[in-house]
Amino acid sequence: MEQETTTYKESTGRELLRRFKYNKSAVFGLIIILFMVFCAITADFIAPNDPYPSPPLLANKLKPGFWSDKGAPGMPLGSDGLGRCVLSRIIYGARVSLTAGFVAVAIAMFLGITLGVLSGYFGGWIDTIIMRIVDIMFAFPALLLAIVIVAVAGQGLEKAMIAIGIVYSPQMARIIRSSVLYIKEMEYIEVQKAIGSSHWRIIFRHILPNSVAPVIVYGTLMLASAILDCAALGFLGLGAQPPIPEWGAMLADSYSFIVSGAWWAATFPGIAILLSVLGLNLLGDGLRDILDPRLKQ
Amino acid sequence: MKSKGILVLLLISVLVLGTTMLALAQEKVLVFGSSGDVSRLDPADATDGESISRMDNIFEGLVEYKAGSTEIQPCLAESWDVSEDGKEIVFHLRKGVKFHDGTDFNADAVVFSFERQYNPEHPYHQYGEWAYWGYMFSDIDGMEKIDDYTVKLILSEPNASIMTSLAMFTVCIVSPANAEKYGEDAFKHPCGTGPFKFVEWVKDDHITLEANENYWRGRPKVDKLIFRVIPDPSARLLSLEVGEIHGMEYPNPADFDRIRANPDLVLMSEPGMNIGFMAMNNGYGYVDANKNGVKDPDEPLEKTPGYFEPLTKKEVRQAINMAIDKEAIVRDIYMGTASVAKNGMPPFMLGYNDEIEDYPYDPTRAKELLAEAGYPDGFEVTLHVMPVSRPYMFDPPKIGEAIQSYLAAVGIKVNFYQVDWATYLQETEAGMHQMCLLGWTGDNGDPDNFLNVLYGLNACSIGTAGNYAFYTNEENQELLTKALRTYDVEKRAEYYKKAQELIHEDAGWVFLAHSNQNMVFRKNVEGFVLHPTSRMFFYPVDIKR
Repeated sequence: MEQETTTYKESTGRELLRRFKYNKSAVFGLIIILFMVFCAITADFIAPNDPYPSPPLLANKLKPGFWSDKGAPGMPLGSDGLGRCVLSRIIYGARVSLTAGFVAVAIAMFLGITLGVLSGYFGGWIDTIIMRIVDIMFAFPALLLAIVIVAVAGQGLEKAMIAIGIVYSPQMARIIRSSVLYIKEMEYIEVQKAIGSSHWRIIFRHILPNSVAPVIVYGTLMLASAILDCAALGFLGLGAQPPIPEWGAMLADSYSFIVSGAWWAATFPGIAILLSVLGLNLLGDGLRDILDPRLKQ
Repeated sequence: MKSKGILVLLLISVLVLGTTMLALAQEKVLVFGSSGDVSRLDPADATDGESISRMDNIFEGLVEYKAGSTEIQPCLAESWDVSEDGKEIVFHLRKGVKFHDGTDFNADAVVFSFERQYNPEHPYHQYGEWAYWGYMFSDIDGMEKIDDYTVKLILSEPNASIMTSLAMFTVCIVSPANAEKYGEDAFKHPCGTGPFKFVEWVKDDHITLEANENYWRGRPKVDKLIFRVIPDPSARLLSLEVGEIHGMEYPNPADFDRIRANPDLVLMSEPGMNIGFMAMNNGYGYVDANKNGVKDPDEPLEKTPGYFEPLTKKEVRQAINMAIDKEAIVRDIYMGTASVAKNGMPPFMLGYNDEIEDYPYDPTRAKELLAEAGYPDGFEVTLHVMPVSRPYMFDPPKIGEAIQSYLAAVGIKVNFYQVDWATYLQETEAGMHQMCLLGWTGDNGDPDNFLNVLYGLNACSIGTAGNYAFYTNEENQELLTKALRTYDVEKRAEYYKKAQELIHEDAGWVFLAHSNQNMVFRKNVEGFVLHPTSRMFFYPVDIKR
């Protein structure tokens, strides 16, 4: 019996991996994300320059990069309005943006899973109250709600992360609730109830493990939106505060120079945001295709 | 017969339509791109540059500035006599001038315009805040009517800057009939004697003015003047390039090369009458209980909410002055469109002390000073960073970031604090900041309007402070008050020079730069003259075809 289960698990794992390999866009997404994570972890070693030199080297301001012979030496993607290396700031920015995204999604998951399970499993008035609150939160555009929370709590990267986490939690709660509603009607849950298992045992041993798939898929997709919203808050000056090299804030710092010809200082952080969001979306979509049992060939 | 009638009708309508279209095509409309919207359209209640530049074209005062200077010339007053002791001035008013609503300009209107600001019993006093009256006109005891075209201004003390102040927007003459008609909403329906009449104000979009056909100097050359709000400087420039607007304020210095390269555009630039600075909270202010704008003996000094131990030490403030490379900031962030400041007012003003030697950029010495003051490892401090660009500081966040980076090099960690503009002003006026970026644009060309308003002890009132460093030196205030009461120009200048020495030595501020004022017009717009106070007079402006 024991032996058989293991083989079954192994074969599912292998099957999933095989399907993943054939999903080219998911692989591409994963490569982008792994590259970003690599940059974030090794920023101290691979960044060519200090992202915020002190005192500043203002005389280096707005120098073009490798494509021009007037560029500042050692700054392959040029320099920004304060003479700082754009490439180094983007590399350090990967650390900021990915951390912000992960923390925000972790908060959303914690809140969302708690609320979703309570709501779906117990039903009744708990369900009604939680779902009405969720409805109210859905009535606001996500970014607007995040802005409101940051405006009340004050600016800063940490607060932006918390705000985005809170804003995303209803979405997660809905997803978890629906899968809990589905799972709790399954026969094995009935069995558990019949043999007198406690609620907690049922939730932690049976319901949660079986809801992992949607959580992974939507978590990945949510990570993409969280990074984008964090950048948006940074762009509005509500997220990361200077001198933290956050991509959205870098864009806001430099977009006024586009008209005068210094396009690089704003363009490259923009591309970094685009790539990471694209990578996460491709990966998320791929995971959904792979994990959805209805799509099994 | 019937068909003939229709034909005639058609012909007539085509003719009418054609002529109106022709007339429309010939109408000269000047559209000006501004960076923000106005707050109030009552000249006595305006404090921001955007509101003031609209007033300049609708209203006039007793006297006015000559084009491009802060010297005064007669306007609604044809002449005036000053009494021997300098405390009474009699104005002889111009006859035959009419307000836009058709009523006569006369002594009653003058008395009305002044009295509503200083007399709390006046029925229209309640509708305004009259901030500038407190700043600059509180020496005025009264304005009296002698006959229909003669008025007398009475001062409580001699005031050497009063005549130049009388050319300010605050004391422009408004129509009493209009105030009566609109009551508390009068600030939405401005009515003066100026070259343009108010037509409409669409909030955050535009303000339209039209030519005053009966203007006493003759009708202005353009038929309509529209101020359109385009907050982003790049977007403003793009609109100007395609001809959607004819002129704009505050171009981005990074775009100057592009503007100069465009044969259709003209960049106007001259040294502005302003100062941009970083103020460091010295720690103490007073509460102006009787709201007279003066620190009385019964109003003791108390700690400001932003009190921060290290900044109360002179050595620390001097060290911060030495840790910041102003030359580099002016060269690379102001992009050369400013000059480095060493004093709190621009160099061309009366009493400017050129003998003062600025703090050099010397991080090593700065560190030594910090160690002497007891902070060898530095400290952590919060900097209020302005959320908007003003004429004296084009890009505050970049300047803030540069300062952050310079101070990090001597061990001081600077945290950014940003908040919306209205709150920003409230907080800094209440002394809630540790350090803040701010500045000032001169109103009347008089040194009192810089030194007394920004650096005097009287300006340290918590809640309405103009002295953002809360620099409470009594000797300094004595010098500034003496200077204001002195009509002898040489003696006045001496007092001001001495005051600047004290201000420099105690180092409450890092004086950063005097910005140039820059404006861009399309080439076919003629006659605009930059004014040192950044005010905008469109009367002489014409559009050539």
